[in-house]
Amino acid sequence: MNFLTSLTLLKKRPLKSQGDRRSIKVGIPKFLNIWGTHQFWVGFFQSLGVGRIVFSSDTSEEQYREYGKGRITMDSCFPVKALAGHMGELLHKDINLLFVPMIYSLPSFLKGHVVDTLSCTRVMMSVENIKAGFLRERKEFEERGIAFVSPFVPFAEPELLPKYLWESLKEHIPGLTLEETARAVKEGFRALEDFERKMREKSLEIIRWCVKNNRPAILVLARPYHMDPGIGHDIDGEFQQYGFPVLWYNYLPLDAWLLEWLFGEEIRAGIIRSYFDISDVWTSSYSSNTNEIIWGAKFSARFPWITGVIRLSSYECGMDQPTFTPVQKIVESSGTLFFKFGELDETKPAGSVKIRVETIVYYLEKYSQDIIKKKLSRLGAVPSQLLV
Amino acid sequence: METKEFHYRAYRPRPFTKEERSKTTILFGGLTWKHERLIQGSLERMGYKSMPLPNIERQDLDIGKEFIDVGACCPTTFTAGNLARTLMTLREREGEEGVKNNYLFVTIGACGPCRFGQYHESYERVLEGLNLTDFRLFLLDLMQMEQSAPGGGLEISMPLTFGLVYSMFYADLITDMEYAIRPYEVVEGSTDRVVKESIELLYEKLKNRPIKGKKIDSLVWHVFTGYFVDALKEVRRLWDEIEVDRLRVKPKVKITGEFWLQTHEGDGNYNIKRWLEKEGAEVIPPPVAVWMDYLINMELFKLEDAKGFVKKYYLKKLAIGTIAGLYKMVYNRLRKALNNIPNPLPDQRKLKELARPYFHYRLTGGEGHMLIGKALYAYLNRQAHMICELSPYGCLPNTMSVGAMAKVLGDYPDLLYAPIEIKGDAEVHAYSRCQMILTEAKRRAKEEFEEVLERTGLTVEDIRNFEEDHPELRRATYKVPHYGYAGTASNYAMHIAKLMGRI
Repeated sequence: MNFLTSLTLLKKRPLKSQGDRRSIKVGIPKFLNIWGTHQFWVGFFQSLGVGRIVFSSDTSEEQYREYGKGRITMDSCFPVKALAGHMGELLHKDINLLFVPMIYSLPSFLKGHVVDTLSCTRVMMSVENIKAGFLRERKEFEERGIAFVSPFVPFAEPELLPKYLWESLKEHIPGLTLEETARAVKEGFRALEDFERKMREKSLEIIRWCVKNNRPAILVLARPYHMDPGIGHDIDGEFQQYGFPVLWYNYLPLDAWLLEWLFGEEIRAGIIRSYFDISDVWTSSYSSNTNEIIWGAKFSARFPWITGVIRLSSYECGMDQPTFTPVQKIVESSGTLFFKFGELDETKPAGSVKIRVETIVYYLEKYSQDIIKKKLSRLGAVPSQLLV
Repeated sequence: METKEFHYRAYRPRPFTKEERSKTTILFGGLTWKHERLIQGSLERMGYKSMPLPNIERQDLDIGKEFIDVGACCPTTFTAGNLARTLMTLREREGEEGVKNNYLFVTIGACGPCRFGQYHESYERVLEGLNLTDFRLFLLDLMQMEQSAPGGGLEISMPLTFGLVYSMFYADLITDMEYAIRPYEVVEGSTDRVVKESIELLYEKLKNRPIKGKKIDSLVWHVFTGYFVDALKEVRRLWDEIEVDRLRVKPKVKITGEFWLQTHEGDGNYNIKRWLEKEGAEVIPPPVAVWMDYLINMELFKLEDAKGFVKKYYLKKLAIGTIAGLYKMVYNRLRKALNNIPNPLPDQRKLKELARPYFHYRLTGGEGHMLIGKALYAYLNRQAHMICELSPYGCLPNTMSVGAMAKVLGDYPDLLYAPIEIKGDAEVHAYSRCQMILTEAKRRAKEEFEEVLERTGLTVEDIRNFEEDHPELRRATYKVPHYGYAGTASNYAMHIAKLMGRI
């Protein structure tokens, strides 16, 4: 421990002795499902009046090497192991509450149209796993004067969400009541919805640009945490350098007029029950990320100006594994190009990524106009809202 | 550029009609031969032709890899390969039309987030790979008492569900007997012979069981009838004939782990239970019934968490609590018929509490918190000297609970824990890892026995002499109480000391 770190630790005092919530500095590791829910947590903690929210940095080899290694108790996919680096990094920051939620189920635009919206089992359980690496030999959080809080978080059970959050936080946030927690949860959802609405509006703007200029776009099918440059290795950014707009499946526009254009005929034919029904292509619709990936694949297969799909998947991803063939078939059944970057791990294979991206770009440039025409021929007239 | 059909569609099996029932064989698998034989009896009683898939072999792993997407866990790969091998054999024998029309495959889905709920996706890749997409594969929900497959040919009714539950209970109990007795059998092979005879006897009982009622009356009959207990009393007489020598000092190894891998007996888990026995251990096998008990109790725990948000809370709690209670009551009645030699089901609430500091009980998928709870339960109650957790390579939930065990071991450094990762093709590695912990377990079993002899002042010769006057003690069905020691020999010596009035 260096001198500066020692000074930081000396400044920390147990939360219980502090009456003022402004003194609470919450550290949140930027890992796994935080990538899809971070705005909820910002809204939630701001509503509770905590002093500061500190996120860990993006995942990197350096972060993992410096703060994570030696704390891994079982081999698993890198996105899970990387949590050790995020938690370790936060222990060296000016925080007094380390908040690592066990997110069991997720808020999803597909809720009500699928069986469930659960997290991957590894993702939800990762906290218990990685926590053990910090506690097996000594009480590391306690020694550093940091309260460790890891509530069970079922986003799909909104009535229980305040209860679980309140039970885990009441000891650490002075005067916290269940009613206040429930209000903060509402604020959290509002913040998340606002953020997602803005992201979808941005996606729509990109799509309209593609229509106006008759230019192809690329859709990324991955898990939200592949947006983390240390997990997804910025592969989507490589395509942007070639001038291809890149859309993410989880922020696609959901406007009724657009979905009616793409899916309306199938509803009338009785193939699906709603725009968001995926039962025609995927029957085990338990996992939230998987469901949305499948839906994104369906969207890409129908939307003319998405001519290429990039699938990202981490090494040993057991949730992705059963979906590889169905997703590829859904996309390719309409002639849309499909490329997979699988087995992504800790090391960024920059050279091979660049070579593959060049190859993919060649195909996109060669075939995109044909694909757009072919896909347009299967749909009705382009909605006027797209031509704005 | 090739453009295929515009829309991809998920696999949908052709309907299976009632008329086809008499000429169509239902294929199923995934459990031990004992469970499968008894399930066959239950299905046949309801008018279905059925056939278990052949036992898993090493070649199934290679066959599975050829058909399914990369990165699958070994249970998925083994079972998909097993299905592929079966279908290829049948096609060779009966032609493509024969396979499609004369057979169908039934599998169960559960767990939700775990890959277990998505195994059928891999099976569908097998059908595509074999160009047998017309073959019928039905997915049933484990938690539904009544359901039917498209076409109405396959109907899961109350009588069939209860037949399946009894098949599972019976096979679990016989398996518990088998592993408790085989290491101590005086005549080698006598246990295996009696296991086969027991299963055949129970198969006949299930195949010829009376069908009483259809709904609630069926439930009441199945819970309270003496028919199933009487059958086990007949079975007990077969086991009575086996002579055992409980003075063989052996480490007790509790098997936990991923559902399929821990239950399996064969190449899929390197036959590790038999291997442990050969290495001088007594194995405590994991009953399927524990997992069902877990699923039922999880409903209760979830309900309790939601108190205040659930309408008719007390009524619902009473209903689920009654189901959980009846489930255990029936299991215990059956155990009693075998003189309580099979182990009782662990208290699920206790497992949840033990695991709580390390693993939240609502983190479901696979065995959830149970693996940690079971390890601690066995350790704290001195049920076993060692825990052997079988974890499939690439398993989603299992890897997480194995990792969380690091903290448990920090708190309980004496707990002997051997997490074995099973890939299916690296048995020497798995055996050597297990062997390292087993060596320590053997030492502890020996020390424990010596401690008992010292405490009681008995010698092995004293016990042998006492046995000569009390030959019933050497019967396989003689129940030795638990005196707080993990080893069978230690508890037996304590029991003799008590009978002799020394303690």
